[in-house]
Amino acid sequence: MTDRWAPPTVTVVTGAAGWLGRALVHRLLADGRDHLRVLVHTNEERAQIPQGDAIAVEVGDIGDRAVVDRLFAGLGSDEVVDVVHTAGVIHPKKVADFFHVNATGTRNVVAASAAAGVRRLVHVSSNSPFGTNPHPTDLFRQDEPYHPYYGYGRSKMEGEQAVFAAVTAGDLDATLVRPPWFYGPFQPPRQTTFFRMVRQGKFPIIGGGQQRRSMVYVDNLVDGILAAELTAAAVGKGYWIADERAYLVTEIVETVGRALRDEGFTVKDGGMRLPAIAGRVAELGDKLIQRTGMYQQQLHVLGEMDKTIACDISASTAELGYVPKIALYEGMRLSIQWCVAQGLEL
Amino acid sequence: MSGIEGHQIHVRTQVLVVGSGAGGATTAALLAEAGFDVLIVEEGPWVDQDTVTPFSLDQMDRQYRSGGVTVALGLPSIAYTEGRCAGGGTEVNSGLYFRPPLDVVERWRRDFRIDGLDVDELESIADEVEQAINVTTVPGKPTPASEILRRGAAALNWRHSEIPRWMKYPAGGDAVTGKRQSMTRTYLPRAFAAGARMLVETRVDRLVDNGLNVTAHVTYGDGTGRMPGGAITAAHVFVCGGAIQTPALLQRSGMRSHIGRTLAVHPTVKLTAKFADEVNVPDDVPVHQVKEFAPDLSFGGSASHSGLVALALTDEWRTFSSAIEDWRRMSIYYAAITSEGRGWVQALPGFRDPLVTYRLSHRDREVLRSGLGRLALLTLEAGATEVYPSFRGAPVVRDRGDLATMQQRFAASKASVMTVHLCSTVPMGEHRDRCGADSFGKVHGADRVWVNDASLLPTAPGVNPQATVMAFAIRNARRFIEQQQSQQSHRSSGATQNGAQA
Amino acid sequence: MRSVPSAPLVGPFADRLLALDFPALEPARREQAIAFAVRRVDGLPSVMNLGVILIAALFRGLLALPGNEAILRFFARTPLPLLGEYVRLVRSLGYAYIFETWPDTRPDGSSPTPAPVEAAPADAVPNMGGTA
Repeated sequence: MTDRWAPPTVTVVTGAAGWLGRALVHRLLADGRDHLRVLVHTNEERAQIPQGDAIAVEVGDIGDRAVVDRLFAGLGSDEVVDVVHTAGVIHPKKVADFFHVNATGTRNVVAASAAAGVRRLVHVSSNSPFGTNPHPTDLFRQDEPYHPYYGYGRSKMEGEQAVFAAVTAGDLDATLVRPPWFYGPFQPPRQTTFFRMVRQGKFPIIGGGQQRRSMVYVDNLVDGILAAELTAAAVGKGYWIADERAYLVTEIVETVGRALRDEGFTVKDGGMRLPAIAGRVAELGDKLIQRTGMYQQQLHVLGEMDKTIACDISASTAELGYVPKIALYEGMRLSIQWCVAQGLEL
Repeated sequence: MSGIEGHQIHVRTQVLVVGSGAGGATTAALLAEAGFDVLIVEEGPWVDQDTVTPFSLDQMDRQYRSGGVTVALGLPSIAYTEGRCAGGGTEVNSGLYFRPPLDVVERWRRDFRIDGLDVDELESIADEVEQAINVTTVPGKPTPASEILRRGAAALNWRHSEIPRWMKYPAGGDAVTGKRQSMTRTYLPRAFAAGARMLVETRVDRLVDNGLNVTAHVTYGDGTGRMPGGAITAAHVFVCGGAIQTPALLQRSGMRSHIGRTLAVHPTVKLTAKFADEVNVPDDVPVHQVKEFAPDLSFGGSASHSGLVALALTDEWRTFSSAIEDWRRMSIYYAAITSEGRGWVQALPGFRDPLVTYRLSHRDREVLRSGLGRLALLTLEAGATEVYPSFRGAPVVRDRGDLATMQQRFAASKASVMTVHLCSTVPMGEHRDRCGADSFGKVHGADRVWVNDASLLPTAPGVNPQATVMAFAIRNARRFIEQQQSQQSHRSSGATQNGAQA
Repeated sequence: MRSVPSAPLVGPFADRLLALDFPALEPARREQAIAFAVRRVDGLPSVMNLGVILIAALFRGLLALPGNEAILRFFARTPLPLLGEYVRLVRSLGYAYIFETWPDTRPDGSSPTPAPVEAAPADAVPNMGGTA
C-alpha cells in the first residue's frame, strides 16, 4: 500500500451543490474536516449545502476566472490545501455550455490551484472523453486513447488535457478520477425518472440488453476521490472509480426492480424492448441536434443506451487501495430509501 | 506409374495430396510414413529459402499467389495473401507460434459437433509439432521494432510477450539470424524420405469421382503460357490448398454444400510510427505481441522495408509523403481483430480463380477503430514522435489530443484493411447445417475426398493458426491411417479385393 | 479464361499517374515501376483482373479526351468508390516498387544518388522459379 497523506488544513470543493458535490461535502464534514471552501453556481443552491462555521461558500460561474480567483483568495503556502473539482455540466441547454463549464471552468481551477500552490487537485472527469467500448465485453483500461462522445465528451477531454498539461509542465500536482454512471443520494430529478421507468416496466432495453455498464454508488465514488486526494504517489494519472465488474443492462433493470419490490413498491416486469436500430437512430439525432449547438437530454441518453461503457478498476485498487464497499443491490435500496425520505414520487 | 498419351500426362497414385503447406505437408509425411503411396501436387514453384529475401517484393513475386495482390471484395475490400509455393504459407509467414487455443477448440467441438475431438490428443500432437519445427524464442536480441512493442505495452501495463517462432538460431543469435523451419525443411523432406513424390507447378482444376477412384484434372506449368493438361488418378484425395483454393476446387468439382460460405479472417488495420532512432529492420518482423485485449484484439509488428513503408503511407500520401525520407526511423504495426463478419469464396464458371468477398460487422468496425487508437497510444508511449495511420483522411498523430481526431476521422471503409489468417471455408463437424466436412475432414457426401487444411477450422482461432492447422491435420491423417489399416486387415481376412488399391 | 494483356491499357495511365505524383522521378525508373505494375495486374486473380481491365479501359479512354490532364488530376485526388480503387492499386504498386528498389527516393521522385546506368533488378524479369 502506498503512502497516505494526512488530511489538508483547507479543502476546496467546486460544484458543491451538485449530486456528487453534496455527497462529498457531507462526507468531508463527517470526517471532521473543519475548513471547507466551496463554490456553488447560484444563490438558490446555497440552501442545498450544510451551513456552519466549517464551510465558506462562494457563489458564481466557474467559467468566470474572477469567481474562481475569489474562491482561492488568500490561500497560500502557509496552509495545506487540497482541491476537489467536481463542477461540471452534463445535460445543458446548449452545447456551448459544455465548454464554458467543463473546459474553461477546469482551466480556471487548474490555473488558480497552481497559483495558490495547492498540495493536490483531484479533477473529476468521466468516461465520455473515451466514448464507448467497441464491444460488450471490452473494458477500458487505465490508459486509453481519447475518442470523445459528442459535446460533453469533448469538453471533458479538454478539461483533462488542461490538468495533464499543468502536471507535465510541473506547475501542479493533480490527479483524475473517472466515474462512469453513478447513482445514490442527492440525485437530481432525472434519476427519479429512471426508477419510475423501471417500476412501470418502461425502461428502454435496446437490442437485447447485452451491452454492459460500469456503475458506482456515490459513496463509493467519494471513497475513490478521497483515496486519490491522499495517496501521495497518485500523480498525473486517471483512475476509474466503479464497481468491480460491469453489469448487463438487463441485470441492472432486474436488480433495480428487485430493490424497488423489496422497498415495498409494485414493479411491472420486463422493460421496454427496442430494436438495436432505435439506439442508432437516437444517436444520429443527438449528433445532428448537437451540431446545431442545441442539446436534447432524452435523445442523448437513449442514443447512449445501446452502448457498452465498462471500465477496469484494477489500477485504482492496486494504486489507490480503492475497494467498492456498497454493491449494486444494496446501493439501489439506499437510493430508493433516500428518495422516499425526501418525499420524491417514484 | 505414369505415361503420356498425346498431350495428356497420366499419373496414378494411392493418395493424392493437393497443396504442400501446413496441412498438405504434414498429411503427406504421415501417410507416406505409414506406407501409403503419396503424390503431392503443388501449384507454385519450389523456392529455396536461401535464394529469397524475406518480405521482399521479389519474394511476393515468387512465393505468393498473384504477387500478393489478392483481395476479398467488400466495403472496405480486404487485401489478403496466400502462399503459392512448395511449403505454402509456412514459407512466407511471420513464423510466430501459438499452440491450439483450447477454449476455442472446446467451443468448436460443442458448436460444430466434432466427434472424437480429444483435447489431450491435440496437446500431445502440439508437443510433437513443436519438436518437429523447432519452436523457440530468440536467444539474442529482438529487433528494435520488436522492443518498441514491448516497451509501449510495459508503459501501459498491457499484457505482452515474446512469441516463440519455428526458427533455428545460431547460439546466442539475434532475431534476424533465424532460419525458418518451414515445410520445405521439415515435413516435406520427411515425406520424401518415406517415398512420397511431389509435382510442383501443377494445378488441379477439377476432381472427378468415377465411383472407384478420383481423377484429378491438372494443368502443368507456372500458368504463364499454354501448358499441357493431364490427369492424376488416386484412390483418395486430400485437398489442402488453403481456405480460398480448397473450397474453390471442391466447388469446381461439384461439391458445394457448406463449402466456401463461411470464410473467416482476422482483419487488421495498420499504422507507421516514427522514432528518434533508426528502428527499421527490412527483412524481419517483430517477435513481440500485445495480447491485453485478446482474443478480440491483438497488436504486433509488420514487415517494414522501405517499399512497404511507402505503401503504408499511400492512403494519405499528400500529407504523409515527406515522412518517407525517414523510413529508417519508421516501423509498421498492426491491430488484428477477431471478426464477427463472414466471407464467401465462389468459383465462377469460365474463371480460373474464385471470387472472394468479405463483410465486416458493425462491431468489427468499432473494434478496428479502437484497435488502431490503442495501437497508436502504445507507439506514442514507446516514444514515437509521429504516427501515420493507414486510412484515407488520417491525421499525423503526435500527442494524445491527436488520437481523438484520429478516432473521430476513422472509418473502416476508408482504411487499408488486410488479413493473413484465412480459415473456415469447409468447417468440420457433424452439424450438417453448418459443416462442409465431417469430424475428420472427409467432405460430407463424398467418398474419397478429404479436406485437411485451415478450411476445416470452424472459426478463426484468434491467433496465428499454423500450429492449429498442423495439429488437426496430423490428427485427421492418423484417423485416416487407422481406418484404412483396419479396412485392409478386414479385407485381407475377408479376401475381398478393391480395385482402388494401387 | 485467358486474361487480356494489360500493358496497353494500364501502362499509359500508370505513366501519367506516376509522372504526376513523382515529377522528378527519372523516366527510366518510372518505366521500370510501370513494368512492375503491369506485371502484377497481369497476374491478378482472374475475376479481379477482368474488373481492373474494364476500369483501365475506361481510364484509357478518358486519357484520350481533351482536358485529360484535369481528368487525371481529379481522379488522382478524389477517392471514388470502385474507380478510385483502380487508382489506388496502380499507385500502391508503383510506390512499393519505387521505394523498395530505390529506398532513398525523395517524395518528389528525385534521388540523392542517381545512378548513371540502372541495372534492371532481378525483380523486373518474370521469375520462373526453381523446381524440385
